[in-house]
Amino acid sequence: MLGQLARFAAALRAAGLRVGLGDEVDAAAALTLVDLLDRGEVHRALRIALKLPREAWELYDRLFAEYWDGIRAPRHDALERALREQRAPPQWQWDGARVRLALAERDDDEQPEGDTPGWSPEAMLRRKPFEQCSASEIAALERMLERLAPRLAALRTRRLTPTRGRGHVDLRRSFRHALRSEGDLVRLARRTRALEEPSLVVLFDTSGSMAAYTRMLLAFSFALRRSIRKVEIFAFNTSLARVTRLISPAEVVRTLERLAARVPDWSGGTRIGACLEAFSARYRDAVVNRHTTVLVVSDGLDHGEGAVLGRAMRELRARAARVVWLNPLAGDARYRPQADGMLAALPFIDHFGAAHNLESLEGLLRHLS
Amino acid sequence: MNEEIRAVQEHMERCGYIAEPAIATAVFLAREMRRPLLVEGEAGVGKTEIAKVLARMLGTELVRLQCYEGLDTHTALYEWNYQRQILRLKIAEREGRDPAKLEELIFGREYLLERPLLRAITRREGPAVLLIDEVDRADEGFEAFLLELLSDFQITIPELGTICAEHVPFVLLTSNRSRELSDALRRRCLYLYVEHPGLEKELRILRARVPGVSERLARGVARFVQRLRERELRKLPGVAETIDWAQALMRLHKDGLDAETVGATLGCLLKDAHDLRATGREAIAELVEHAAEPG
Repeated sequence: MLGQLARFAAALRAAGLRVGLGDEVDAAAALTLVDLLDRGEVHRALRIALKLPREAWELYDRLFAEYWDGIRAPRHDALERALREQRAPPQWQWDGARVRLALAERDDDEQPEGDTPGWSPEAMLRRKPFEQCSASEIAALERMLERLAPRLAALRTRRLTPTRGRGHVDLRRSFRHALRSEGDLVRLARRTRALEEPSLVVLFDTSGSMAAYTRMLLAFSFALRRSIRKVEIFAFNTSLARVTRLISPAEVVRTLERLAARVPDWSGGTRIGACLEAFSARYRDAVVNRHTTVLVVSDGLDHGEGAVLGRAMRELRARAARVVWLNPLAGDARYRPQADGMLAALPFIDHFGAAHNLESLEGLLRHLS
Repeated sequence: MNEEIRAVQEHMERCGYIAEPAIATAVFLAREMRRPLLVEGEAGVGKTEIAKVLARMLGTELVRLQCYEGLDTHTALYEWNYQRQILRLKIAEREGRDPAKLEELIFGREYLLERPLLRAITRREGPAVLLIDEVDRADEGFEAFLLELLSDFQITIPELGTICAEHVPFVLLTSNRSRELSDALRRRCLYLYVEHPGLEKELRILRARVPGVSERLARGVARFVQRLRERELRKLPGVAETIDWAQALMRLHKDGLDAETVGATLGCLLKDAHDLRATGREAIAELVEHAAEPG
């Protein structure tokens, strides 16, 4: 029984779920308390003891069937290959916290000789638009992204810490001081707001017109997550999905596919305004506060009404510390914002920047601090 | 099913909470393994209610700590009663007492104001149920402090020393997932995710919580709400809303749903102007028709 549990836990880990030794011990303890002949009960108890979040249930059910009922699920690589064939190359494959490009075999063969990162001087690569990059260049960019560790200015929070300057009166400490002077409040101790890390909300457009940039920007968002602890990531095209919590980046790709499946015409429209509204309704109060930088990544080609987008942006601007809009089209010197949606959004943007190459993304970091 | 889990389920039901097997199993395991239970789920699925029912089941006190941004130990744990302390000092001064002894005098237990966490671990009559509500709203510093408390069940007050728990309370934490909780806290707890109830469960809740409701009305209301939750809404109606609505309809002496009454009372279910606008006459007609279908 314990051996079976250990194998099951290992399989969950291999699938990208965070299952620690402590959780295994808890699961074992739970198994001693339940009716082992009742499949449903074992299923529920393990899920509770292994502390699996809602997003992991689907995976859990599949592996449970495989390891406890002896039903072999379809092999994962077969599944993955099927998925891969549906998508256009090149593909991203995710490896734990690291994002790297998985080259299909034929891509390797077609790789022109000498086209290695070493051949493209870093400076040139930084300026090369993503859509013109070869697979290996993307991989090199990806490594550069990883080194990018922005130092972000600390912001103030609501928690109070002692201060010598101005602030709220701290009775507890004032009183301690008063004791020394036999009960007279000679000096008032004060508290002020503590320093805290900034938070960031990334909303990025995954519609067809953004396809060349999506994967790179996704990698960028995940890179940010390594240096800023509070990063929330959302993807949208005609509907919105929160992707922050997805346990592994592989799941992000799966979610993008689910999003894509919901769009009748993949290359067609984006409803930026409606999606931002949906964001405001469901998540804004929870993830946006006065210290939050909201980063919208989209080309602004909205198929909804401009007025809706304008309203949503106004609301967002009112609550966030700043709103930054990244538009890959803005990398072209000839670009002028003319799309209805973009024009409606512009008045509420603190910084409007390009996002077509690594240099533009690096430049953005200044605006995040 | 394990007899004891079934017993927990039946006991919860007698106390007015319709628990599906997952909830009963989680409560049973948390009790047996003496671990805090972290409950997550959308607003309105009855997370807080679990704690209330547990307190009723165990015949004990429910100690509740509502979390918010900026919550600190002064509000969560303990505070000194300054006014009383100052008063005592002034009296002592008149009496001409030795200042060195004053400190000992005024930092006694009787000058200590118990806040929920201290209250929960010092309850003498037996273990309390401690509900730490919406823990995702408190900041991370507080979460770290909480983790320490949940590991040792002891609190150190500099002026008094360490206070150990008289009885280890049954701890429930709820989270609306507005922020990801730290891994350490998550690992410390057992984990339960509660979803909106299915049709049968919601029906049983209505029968239990709305005395005198007719079978026809209960079924109509439950089917209507189930269908309503499938729509794209900003705030999905929770179980509490379903109960409110059923009660409202009973006060209006309705035994079934009709479009006009539904339109007039929809505010019981939908509490967002946008959602109300989005559920227009046509949508209501469709929902009422669905609710009336047998089955």
